[in-house]
Amino acid sequence: MSSRRAPRGEYIETDTGNKVARKATLVGTQNIMLGGKTVIQPEVMIRGDLIRSIQSSTSSSAAGAPPNNTAVAIGRYCFLSRGACLRPPGRHYKGAFTYMPLRIGDHVFVGLGSVIQAASIGSHVHIGARVVVGEFAIIKDYVRVLDGTVVPPNMVVPSFTIIAGQPARVIGEVPEGGHEAFELRELYKTVGNNPHPAPS
Amino acid sequence: MAPLPFSPYTFIQCPCSDSTLLARPADAKSPTGADAEEDERTFDPRAPRSNYSLYPLEYLLYCEDCHQIRCPRCVSEEIATYYCPSCLFEVPSSNLKSEGNRCTRSCFQCPICIGPLSVTTQETRHPDANLLSADNAATPHSGGFSLTCSYCHWSSTEIGVDFDKPNGIHAQLAKIRNGGESRLTAKERKERRKELSHRGDSAAAAAAREEIEEQVPDLENQFANLKSFYNSQLADPTAADNGLSTLGDLGFSSPSSLSRIMNLYTGGKISDNKAKSRLGAIREALTPEEGLLVANLDEAALISQLHQSEHCDTASMAQITSQPPNLGEPALHGASRFTSSLRPIPHLLRTKRSKRCPVCRHIISKPEPKVQTTRFRIRLVAGSYIPSISIKPLTLPGPSGSSSSNPSDLLISLKPVHYLLTFKNPIFETIKVTLATPAATPGRFPSKVTVLCPQFDIDANTDVWDEALKDNDRSDKSSRNSGGTTRQRRGTEAGYQLEVGKIWERGRNWVSIVVEVVPASLRLEDGGMLREDEDILEIPMFVRIEWEAENAGDDGGIVPGAGGKDKDQKEKRELAYWCVLGLGKIKQN
Repeated sequence: MSSRRAPRGEYIETDTGNKVARKATLVGTQNIMLGGKTVIQPEVMIRGDLIRSIQSSTSSSAAGAPPNNTAVAIGRYCFLSRGACLRPPGRHYKGAFTYMPLRIGDHVFVGLGSVIQAASIGSHVHIGARVVVGEFAIIKDYVRVLDGTVVPPNMVVPSFTIIAGQPARVIGEVPEGGHEAFELRELYKTVGNNPHPAPS
Repeated sequence: MAPLPFSPYTFIQCPCSDSTLLARPADAKSPTGADAEEDERTFDPRAPRSNYSLYPLEYLLYCEDCHQIRCPRCVSEEIATYYCPSCLFEVPSSNLKSEGNRCTRSCFQCPICIGPLSVTTQETRHPDANLLSADNAATPHSGGFSLTCSYCHWSSTEIGVDFDKPNGIHAQLAKIRNGGESRLTAKERKERRKELSHRGDSAAAAAAREEIEEQVPDLENQFANLKSFYNSQLADPTAADNGLSTLGDLGFSSPSSLSRIMNLYTGGKISDNKAKSRLGAIREALTPEEGLLVANLDEAALISQLHQSEHCDTASMAQITSQPPNLGEPALHGASRFTSSLRPIPHLLRTKRSKRCPVCRHIISKPEPKVQTTRFRIRLVAGSYIPSISIKPLTLPGPSGSSSSNPSDLLISLKPVHYLLTFKNPIFETIKVTLATPAATPGRFPSKVTVLCPQFDIDANTDVWDEALKDNDRSDKSSRNSGGTTRQRRGTEAGYQLEVGKIWERGRNWVSIVVEVVPASLRLEDGGMLREDEDILEIPMFVRIEWEAENAGDDGGIVPGAGGKDKDQKEKRELAYWCVLGLGKIKQN
């Protein structure tokens, strides 16, 4: 992410294929893990500074192990649209307030201006525009969240679900033939400093 | 909200709506006049029944044995796994019979907004006491626990329900009425009754009666009372001396004599006797302990309560209908009208289902039974057998074409527009596609349709190494056809001419053709109103694909005459179906 080889162009492209817009706001970059081939569009905000302030007992007992400070972990081929915000969820734990890591799988699309405060988002998830995913929500694989949905905190969305509404409710099931539609490899190629020519 | 921009769509008709195609193969062999007639008929996407047979490609499955498309309406489903959508625990089907189709752990939905409820301690309103951190149970809690909704901040304390333990909420809730009063579950009541009957003395019986009368007559306990009453009625063959025996007592009053007489007259005209004998045979419950519930027709209290309450205190229809059947609620006349009588909703279970072909009964879709896995053991989706069709408006530079067209733009009546249809071949054989459309769309406003190239070949989807780069053109509308264009012709579109009989563009496994449409005028002579969706330009199109498949290894569906002698011999296959292309909306003037 700290690559400065390409001084021009809207995006910084890393060795692992991440395309991060120069105009994206990434706070606490050392706590943000990108799996590669992930697109971060301008005006996206990722709050890597909101790290776990209390280490879990298992990791602290392991002597000498560096503390795991990952605040946001993102898999491969994710796409964060303009204005999206990823914010680790926080809560009181053993008497003190702490943030917990936000984990995102592969092929996750986050729409325009959506705010994600989930505990985890699986792979092959499509989140529409203007969506709010509440704190500690868990979204499993192959889930489609339609535009404008508000996913309440602590909600669990099982696989192959289509949800919409405020608060979110299950409105349908992803059909068997719809699994491939979640792939974001093509979308990845269409952005960047030398994007693939527009489709014919 | 502004109307959503129109996006073109393709729906495919499942053959299941044609009853002739679902007939047994033996019948299908004989070509009849009806078949020919069937072929003549043009599919009308606006026909009332069409809605039930049209599906987007993703929803369709494909049976490899019947070589036919199958839709969600015609497949037969089998449930593989039941699970709770909230805790994602599998529920064995034996539990389902005893516990019902709802999660019996601690998964509840808010009765007000259906958001998820979490268990919280009552002093600190922080979510730290929820089930995720059970280890802080070591810290002492003086108060109980309650269910709270983090979306609308509803809490079970509002209905006077709190819990002693943070787990097993479902079992605890079954014992608590709204308001905090405890109630006996069916099992406990049975035990108590047994205990009393063992003692057998009259004082105990009186105590039992008193206890039953004391109880709020809820559904469960009324049912239990009625059941035990009727059981005793059926068991007792001499139960003739009851209150109703004087009415038409013909000696048929006991169930045993009734059944004897019924046997004599089986099939005969016994309706009169039957009615009379029934009347005498089994009397109805007479006291509350037998299950009699006197209707409370005096609703004055309820009306005055309604007078005093605000609108927001009454439960909405959606809230009431989402309530689970509550066995603890007062029967019949006390059904919930107020939000204070709503109860947390245990999550309904969800299922994983496998699907079978309705004709040959082969499984065409089978998920892994484990809840957490998303893999499928069998998944024969139509998208990997029949070409996908994507639609794009074609902008032609120059005087002949329309100047600028945006997919969301409305079509102007009588002004010709061109659309690019891209067919993409998913199979590993070259396919020959033949298209047919009616010259004018069916309906009151016929638009003229011309397919400039109704017959073409699409190359096979062969290259294995290209497969890695294979695009998924359905992933997003914006990324349609962006990849896999290894043989895409480069050059300005001005260089192309609209030529009849020529394809527009071709790639590795796809072909684009042009369709010319003259939208109809939406003017009605009598000045009537447009019906719903009549301004949408929909084209019915008959697609016929032919290809040569490898004969080897396929035992089903061999065309007679092609023969199975030569393994290297290729076999001709064809598939034909109707589809509907939704191109755009015509501007109303």
